[in-house]
Amino acid sequence: NEIHPFEDETGIEFFARKNDSSLFAVGMHSKKRPHNLILGRTFNYQILDMIEMGVERCTTMQEHKSQACSVGMKPLMVFNGEAFNRDENLVRLKSILLDLFRGEVADKVSLKGLEYIITVTAGPPGPNGETGLVFFRTYTTSLKKSGLRQPRVELEEMGPSLDLRIRRVRLPTEDMWKLAVQVPKELKVVKVKNISRDGLGDKYGRVHLGKQEINKIQTRKVRALKKNLDGGKPGKRQKMDVDTE
Amino acid sequence: MDVSGILEEHKNKFKPIQVDRLIPTEFDLGLLACFDMNMLDDNRLRASQQSRDRYLKELSREGAQQMINELFGLPTTVDEDSVYATLPKTTTVLPREKPIPKEKPPTRWEKFAKIKGIQKRKSTGKVFDEDQGEWRRKYGYKGVNNDDQKPWLIEVPGKADQYQDQYQVRRDEKKARIEKNTRRNQRNVEENVAVEKGMKPHEMRKRELQKALVLSKQSTASLGKFDTKLKGEPKTKGLKRKFDPLVGSADSEKSKNMDILNRVAKGESKATVINVRKAQRAVNNAKRAAASKSK
Repeated sequence: NEIHPFEDETGIEFFARKNDSSLFAVGMHSKKRPHNLILGRTFNYQILDMIEMGVERCTTMQEHKSQACSVGMKPLMVFNGEAFNRDENLVRLKSILLDLFRGEVADKVSLKGLEYIITVTAGPPGPNGETGLVFFRTYTTSLKKSGLRQPRVELEEMGPSLDLRIRRVRLPTEDMWKLAVQVPKELKVVKVKNISRDGLGDKYGRVHLGKQEINKIQTRKVRALKKNLDGGKPGKRQKMDVDTE
Repeated sequence: MDVSGILEEHKNKFKPIQVDRLIPTEFDLGLLACFDMNMLDDNRLRASQQSRDRYLKELSREGAQQMINELFGLPTTVDEDSVYATLPKTTTVLPREKPIPKEKPPTRWEKFAKIKGIQKRKSTGKVFDEDQGEWRRKYGYKGVNNDDQKPWLIEVPGKADQYQDQYQVRRDEKKARIEKNTRRNQRNVEENVAVEKGMKPHEMRKRELQKALVLSKQSTASLGKFDTKLKGEPKTKGLKRKFDPLVGSADSEKSKNMDILNRVAKGESKATVINVRKAQRAVNNAKRAAASKSK
């Protein structure tokens, strides 16, 4: 089956829908685009963004005869080069690679389980300011004693290493990106207002009462102060007057 | 006592872990990623493959060292002989896979509770059972309400028949309750569907009943022409059905059958035999699907 994501998106969208997957990678080879690799993402089963790269040099895991790490480990990712913030294409690549290699979302990580690291380095740009080669390298880490709490890191080149040249990039449409990046109300960080802590660690809060209508506050009821009594039983009142006289 | 010498020696035994960078590296520890914006040595990157790889390895090692330094500075928890570092929340914005799910419309109970101001109370889910002297679930597996043998004695209520099986009565009541619950759930679902389509649930039910009525009428052989009509029912429009007489000339029957056979024998030569009714229905369905999709 021939799939050309940049020309026809329906192939990828079909697969994404059938497999319920949002990340895809397509590899192909043609005379015009040799050793082509396309990495991309979908949102709601429609192509969000993708990057087409030519693999100019590649070494496989078998060629680096070092010990591979166990499957399923989360990699450390390092991006070298300010181009990853400047160049639009590289910003997109960074985002896609982070998504691709993120692995399982975890809020805790075992300090012994940081076995491998992926480095992406932006090479020098071409003479016309075009994006340079991107060097993708994978290493296994070994943590050595350093006499301090943090260990010394030594690397051993492990897995596939690729030299990538960016060819075409499809950026996401404005509204699709906005939808994709929306955070539901429940997850948004709620700012706590009016609460502060002083130097001793005491918590201070400000309580705002509304406007208080003194006339309408509910207090203990005293029968003698009841309004009805004025017009109600004149006899009794008169009696009191007589006493005070 | 001059300890500095010993300290120096000790320090030199180990390789350094400090990494100095002009522009401090940005970290996103939630993703285990770091972004180094410092200038790279372009000459070394343009150099031969081997020296370039060596430079890249150096850079990577320093990047990894920085990250390990940061990670080892996070708060940790110990769990079964391994130390876990608690990662902070990610700062990079990564897109979602699927759009945010739409809020479900409130059920009848939820609407009522909102008006009355009834708050949900959280219960522990377990009830203390005096007989067994332990905590049991309120419902479900080994639940308190599930115990068939629990009341070893049931008093016959004053009004009930003497010979009625009270245990059976309990079981029947439970079944009735379950049925009622499922009916209510189904009603909620139907109401949600109606709200989504923008109709009132009462109207939707009415429409469905009308549709069912029309269909059931058409499924009779006479297409509902002779059925007693209800008050206010519209005139049913159906196909006129014409049956050939049972007794007729053998020739006409023969020619009819031969026609059919010839058509079948020809095969799908031009596929001119279309069921217009079905085709129209297919087109209508496609239109409807397209309309609902574009909504």
